[in-house]
Amino acid sequence: MRCEAQPRSEARRTDVYVERAPEAATKQIAKRESPKVKGKSIVGMNLIETIDLKKTYSTGKNIETPALRGISLSIADKDFVVLAGPSGSGKSTLLHLMGALDTATQGAILFEGRDITNIDIHKLTTLRLHKIGFVFQAYNLISTLTALENVEYTMLLQGINRRTRRKKSIDTLQRVGLDDLIHRFPQEMSGGQQQRVAVARAIAAEPRVVMADEPTANLDSKTAESLLELMQELNMEKGITFIFSTHDPMIMNKAKRLIHLKDGKITPAA
Amino acid sequence: MMTFLKIAWRNITRSKRRSCITISAVGFGVGALIFIWGFVEGAHRQMIENYTSLLTSDIQIHQKGFHQSQKLETHLLNPETLLVALEKNAQIKANAPRIKAVGLVSSSESSSGVMILGVDPEKESSVSTLHRRIKTGAFLDMERDSGIILGATLAKNLNVSIDDKIVLMSQALDGSIASGAFIIQGLLDTGTEEIDKGLALITLRAAQELFVMPRAISEIAIRLNPAAESRTTARKLKDILPQNSDLEILPWQEVSPSFQQWIEFDNGFIWIIVFVVMIVVAIGILNTVLMGVLERTREFGILLALGTKRQEIITMVAWESFFLGTIGSLMGLLLGLALNTYFGKTGIDLTAFTKALNSFYIDSVIYPSLNVTHSAVSVMLVLTTSIVVSIYPAFHAANLKPVEAIRSL
Repeated sequence: MRCEAQPRSEARRTDVYVERAPEAATKQIAKRESPKVKGKSIVGMNLIETIDLKKTYSTGKNIETPALRGISLSIADKDFVVLAGPSGSGKSTLLHLMGALDTATQGAILFEGRDITNIDIHKLTTLRLHKIGFVFQAYNLISTLTALENVEYTMLLQGINRRTRRKKSIDTLQRVGLDDLIHRFPQEMSGGQQQRVAVARAIAAEPRVVMADEPTANLDSKTAESLLELMQELNMEKGITFIFSTHDPMIMNKAKRLIHLKDGKITPAA
Repeated sequence: MMTFLKIAWRNITRSKRRSCITISAVGFGVGALIFIWGFVEGAHRQMIENYTSLLTSDIQIHQKGFHQSQKLETHLLNPETLLVALEKNAQIKANAPRIKAVGLVSSSESSSGVMILGVDPEKESSVSTLHRRIKTGAFLDMERDSGIILGATLAKNLNVSIDDKIVLMSQALDGSIASGAFIIQGLLDTGTEEIDKGLALITLRAAQELFVMPRAISEIAIRLNPAAESRTTARKLKDILPQNSDLEILPWQEVSPSFQQWIEFDNGFIWIIVFVVMIVVAIGILNTVLMGVLERTREFGILLALGTKRQEIITMVAWESFFLGTIGSLMGLLLGLALNTYFGKTGIDLTAFTKALNSFYIDSVIYPSLNVTHSAVSVMLVLTTSIVVSIYPAFHAANLKPVEAIRSL
């Protein structure tokens, strides 16, 4: 199964569920994009592609729970994509796989045209560090670091010098409206403020893509809307690709592209 | 690096109660180690002091072969030059000539084998404490060569007391029978069975006459100044004394190797205590760090998700352990130093165990002593332990799967 890429000028696209054999799906992608294969590197236009992606969790002895049942899709650069679906539909699992946080049971993931399905854990760590930002549902800031230090952290890992990373962090915190709270620890901030810090942390190091897993689930609607507008602006201004997993209708309404998942498969919109 | 240090440090201050308990455990462990080591060191110092001052002295000089044979034939003839050279040595506090021989002491009722020691009463008092161990009567004096000092137990076995007459018999240097009558002038009570049961002291002049060796002695007992070390000084004396090739210059460790071995065994035993304390300290630190790691599973998941390398996670956890170990060790060092300083002045009164202690040459009051090396070793051991025990929690944290860790409660 797969979804066809559409022009970015379109206000919103809803992906269509098409059932195909895995081999057929792979061939389809190859044919459409005419990739040049050099070793494991496939040069194409999309930022992320998944080919017949499957993920099964072993929950006990001989008990296997399929979370993804063969997902083929492509995410264009600078897109603002929402993975929608009910709980257990596999949207978070798909987000984690595309974010190089987890490994697939079967299928392939291409990031910037490079197959990252079976690369070692160190390379996945490096990929996350330099290319991917994360925003989690529970904010997940480092509680022992201040807002400024949290934002600086990724750049510190990247080896960016202190002056540059401090300037970028302050600028980013100003951008998310928290310039007066930079020395506060997470527990000294509201949920909305913490999530803004999380967004600042995700974008400060200028990743190619930000993966946001239910980012508004713990926020009130006003704060959630404000945060979402912020991410939209960042998408427009900086060209950062955003991929959300959510069942929040407000986020779905703001998506340039909506992908519905159900029982580990892409489905047509309800 | 600074950020990892910062996170590690703040994690310690975050769980103040748990960190305090661990730091206390480490501090108590280090403090106890330093104190126990100081106590044992103090007891050993007393043992050595009491043992060497009683009879053995710090260094003994003999004609080569005497220590092995204990025969009168192996003697130092005309020792005056040697004694003058010793007088001039700054390391030496005092020296005393002796004649040493085995013989038989007889009373009207019984007889017993004894070690006969001929001493210069005045000089002997500066190298040994025998004169202070007189239970009844008085120590020898040069005016009265007929006087003899017997061990209290020996006197009891012979059924004699002060002013009683006894006879000493042995073989003289010329092969004749050496025999002489002496009046008991004092009784020795040292608490050491072999002395109290088997020693007879007479004056050096009386011994020289008895054994027909007017210008000879068996040994020179040497007492060193406190700062001098017996083995080192003995080595130096070998190089500087006249006729050194004919001499055997023995530090007390070589005179009484069994006593030295006992001290070494006791020192070895300390390592068992060190090991037990280390286990306690290790469990304390492991508990805190592991609990801290398990409690922060989600946070480690986030750190990994953000691109933190596994070795950076390991470093972070190791730093936490190191901080706990360092603070605890420093507190323990202060505690140990304070205890040793205080009890080093006041002493620890173990009068209740006097009898047992005396048989090991230990006084009833023990004064712990400060030893910089042992204190440093204690601190280093605990610091090393704190790093070693952090390996498991550190690898546990580093090997977490980001997704599973983030999902954990």
